Amino acid sequence: MSDTIRVLTVDDSASMRALLRSALSSRGYQVSQAEDGVAALEWLADNGSDIDVIVTDINMPRMDGFGLIEALRGQSRFRDCPILVLSTESSDEKKSRARSAGATGWIVKPFDADKLDTALRRVTH
Amino acid sequence: MQHNPELSIGSPARITVMQGQVYVGSGAPEILTTVLGSCIACCLYDPIARVGGMNHFLLAEPTPGSGTVADQNYGIFLMELLINQMMTRGGVKSRMKAHIYGGGNMHAGMTRIGDANARFALSFLADEGIPVARQDVGGDSARRVDFDPILGRTRCRHVEKYTAPAPKPITQPTMSGGELELF
Repeated sequence: MSDTIRVLTVDDSASMRALLRSALSSRGYQVSQAEDGVAALEWLADNGSDIDVIVTDINMPRMDGFGLIEALRGQSRFRDCPILVLSTESSDEKKSRARSAGATGWIVKPFDADKLDTALRRVTH
Repeated sequence: MQHNPELSIGSPARITVMQGQVYVGSGAPEILTTVLGSCIACCLYDPIARVGGMNHFLLAEPTPGSGTVADQNYGIFLMELLINQMMTRGGVKSRMKAHIYGGGNMHAGMTRIGDANARFALSFLADEGIPVARQDVGGDSARRVDFDPILGRTRCRHVEKYTAPAPKPITQPTMSGGELELF
């Protein structure tokens, strides 16, 4: 892995995507983005070898975060890729479902940019 | 604004939405109410699902890349929370319409924080593709807003400045976020 961490963020909110891009780019990340699970899978089909960690929202149209995680864990090349959920949700039921789907961890919004940075470095090293 | 008689029918429960809070109608007769100074209240409504909700926030969003402590008062978070809670009640984002109120500049000579918050709210809604059906923002007066989440009707009255609560951080410990929970 190169020193630059390559992250794919998946969120249907354009405002949240902009906030994440700004926060992560300024901390040296190479940021790619998708607006929902379907778009993420399409992007990863072509660029999957260029990603170190995925950060996904849960509530999204077309394919939610749970569906995305399950789909990725079903592909051998993403079986070990760290996937963090970043969501306004915080219920144990939702976290349990994410854990069962294969998520690496969970961060409740609102996120703190420095804490997110620390979390991403922790799961990618 | 003209009086809306439908807001007076029956005796719906009155739910006060304080700064930093989000409330989505339960489906029972309710009126969501708040008093705004420089804060913004966004009322979202899905006319098909007949579900509506209100948030109330002061600050817009952290400065990009600043690494400032995330705070639920940030509008970007409270807007998303409102949208997501409406979706759990059957709301569909593409059908939602918004009413925006507040953003008064309450103290002459100080930073026009009200304008900044109003700009943020309108920019957020534009970015998310949510049309603004009605807005009453800016100026220098406080406002009282009543919102019927089933009918999607609002009433906004300008009131004396002193009735607006002073902006202050609201903490909801159960909602604090940002920490990584590893599975």
